[in-house]
Amino acid sequence: MKGVVFVELLSMAESAFGEATVDNVLDEADLDNGGAFTAVGNYPCDHLIKLVEGFSEKSGASPEALQQKFGFWMLDFFEKGYSDFFVGKENSFDMLEAIDTEIHVEVLKLYPEAELPSFTTERFGDSQFEMVYSSPRPLVEFCQGLIEACIERFKETATIERTAVPNQPNNTRFLITLTS
Amino acid sequence: MSDDAEKPVSRSRFEREKRARQEAEALLESKSRELFLANEELLSHQNSLEEIVEDRTAKLQAALEKAQAASEMRSRFLATMSHEIRTPLGGLIGMINLLRMEEDDSRKIELLDYATASGTALKRIVNDVLDFSKMEAGAFQFHKEAVDIRALTASVLAMAIANSTKDGLTFRQSISDTVPNLFSGDATRIRQVLSNLISNATRYSSEGLIEVRATAEHFDNGSLLRVEVEDQGVGIAPDEKQHLFKDFSQVQNKLTAAAQGTGLGLAISKRIIEGCGGTIGVESRFGKGSVFWFELPVEIVTGTSVEELPQIPEIKDIEALLKGAKVLLAEDNKINQKLIMTFLDRMGLDADLAENGRIAVEKFEPGKYDIILMDVAMPEMDGLQATRAIRDTWAADQIPPILALTAHVMETIEDESRSVGIDRVLNKPIGFQDLRMGIAEALRGRNRSYRRTAKPRDEEQATVLKLMSKDIAEGLVLAMDAREINALVSDFLDDGTRLLRAIRTGWKKKDFETVSADAHSLKGASGLLGFKDLSECASIVEDNADVLDAEDFAEVTDIIADQIKMIRSEVAS
Repeated sequence: MKGVVFVELLSMAESAFGEATVDNVLDEADLDNGGAFTAVGNYPCDHLIKLVEGFSEKSGASPEALQQKFGFWMLDFFEKGYSDFFVGKENSFDMLEAIDTEIHVEVLKLYPEAELPSFTTERFGDSQFEMVYSSPRPLVEFCQGLIEACIERFKETATIERTAVPNQPNNTRFLITLTS
Repeated sequence: MSDDAEKPVSRSRFEREKRARQEAEALLESKSRELFLANEELLSHQNSLEEIVEDRTAKLQAALEKAQAASEMRSRFLATMSHEIRTPLGGLIGMINLLRMEEDDSRKIELLDYATASGTALKRIVNDVLDFSKMEAGAFQFHKEAVDIRALTASVLAMAIANSTKDGLTFRQSISDTVPNLFSGDATRIRQVLSNLISNATRYSSEGLIEVRATAEHFDNGSLLRVEVEDQGVGIAPDEKQHLFKDFSQVQNKLTAAAQGTGLGLAISKRIIEGCGGTIGVESRFGKGSVFWFELPVEIVTGTSVEELPQIPEIKDIEALLKGAKVLLAEDNKINQKLIMTFLDRMGLDADLAENGRIAVEKFEPGKYDIILMDVAMPEMDGLQATRAIRDTWAADQIPPILALTAHVMETIEDESRSVGIDRVLNKPIGFQDLRMGIAEALRGRNRSYRRTAKPRDEEQATVLKLMSKDIAEGLVLAMDAREINALVSDFLDDGTRLLRAIRTGWKKKDFETVSADAHSLKGASGLLGFKDLSECASIVEDNADVLDAEDFAEVTDIIADQIKMIRSEVAS
């Protein structure tokens, strides 16, 4: 997993819980890199899970809630750092569709070895949208956070119905229905 | 925040940041190395590509040079062969012509006529094959010059009548008024196609009318000329029609049982017409006759004077025209000397021989000759050099028409001849009739201007001449009297006034395209008559119609109006 995700997670934690808490969690997590992350490096995904669990213990917030919050944080980060991807997108459906068709295409140009999740999408009329998240990593909640942030970013309101896909443990189906 | 900034950082945080930095630096270094290696690889790949390209380029260059050398050799071979074949052939046909003229024995005359016919057929075959080879070699070029299709048709028909042995054939020429007097095209090639069609018509019919018709209709910026040659001969069966314009094809029938020609005539005609951007075709009914036609898009030449073109004399006039005219012949080949001198003598011309170009230059004096015939390939000084020497020594109006005689067929000879000031190139082998017609055309064409120069007139001159540029004025004086010049200028003034009005109206309507076109016409017409200032103003309007502001436009058009007024007052006086 790209180092930038870890650096941003730590950055969010620092702003939420302070430097001391972050240092504590990093020490206790006993990671093989000693908790030293750089944005240009690559690190195992379980480090991320361990850190989220650590922050959960310290703060009392559930790991799921933290992952969702991190989704919001990352959408903000993307918009500030990669605003080009937002040009020409009129609503959340446009944006979510572009993850697989545009954003990941660009990511793979720079990092051919990156292991990216896939997001297959389908529209049902103007107000309903299905997105199937497919990844071996347990980051469904992070995904949920990103989707919610995206809807908020476009000043929309919607209900998000999440279901597992039978016999496909790596897949999760999000059904998004606009309510405004 | 300022409190945070003051706070010391824990040791563990410091160590972590340090480690992260080291890791980032290591990553950076390894990536840099990767990049460097990739760059090296690219560079070496590029070098090897460049080597390959250089190698291929060199090979291609060598192949190209080889091909060019081969093509050049072919062209040279063609030129040499054509010269080598035509020269003796000319001698042969000429000598038979001479024998025929002196022979009284009807039995021998018949034999000599057969010999002439065979010789002429052979000449046509050689010409066809040479033309065809030139086309194949891509060495066939087209020229643009003013063509008078009426004169051209008359001359081709005159030749056909003179050569025709069939009493049952009558010839007629009918050119519609829609056909422009002059248009720009390749006169030599159009003549070649027309000759070919008429000669076919003669060959494939034994009696009836052979009619040449020409019409024209409006097309693009000029006219679409349509020429038809109709005969009442054997006609063409439908299944033979499709092969007609193919190389080496011939329609077999009882009239041509003894096959004549190469079957290249129509193929060459087709290539010529298509080379000029036209189409050629045939309508025919088997046993009833055929109409061969071609259509050419042509640009109308808005010349005011047809004088520039040689006038085609009527057959009956030729004798009078040639009688006693003085000719200088420059020719080194003994057989040709004998042949052409005898021809000239038969034509009633007063001929003088120069054995090469140098002697011709020495012999020449203004007023001494009415026409010069110049062989091209001669020892000591060739015909082109001699022509240049004469042109350099004497003024244009002191020099009679110079015709070149050459057995070369390559286009370069024609171009060079034109550039040194030869008026017309006649191709050897030249028969009696061709030479006679060529000389007559040249004499008729130049005769008015040349003879007049010999004894300059001191009658009154048109005062409008002083407004024209010198060279144009001189040219006009040679060709016309004062009344004719004034009439010409009056026509121009009427046209010019109309154009100026159109230009002003067009500009008001912002129709700049029409303004430019009208200004272009005005520029051309005034330039032709040597009204320089007027022509320049028109040119300014033509080029800048859409950018001139109202004030400038008014100024330029006022100058044009003033010029027209000034010229009109001179004509009136």
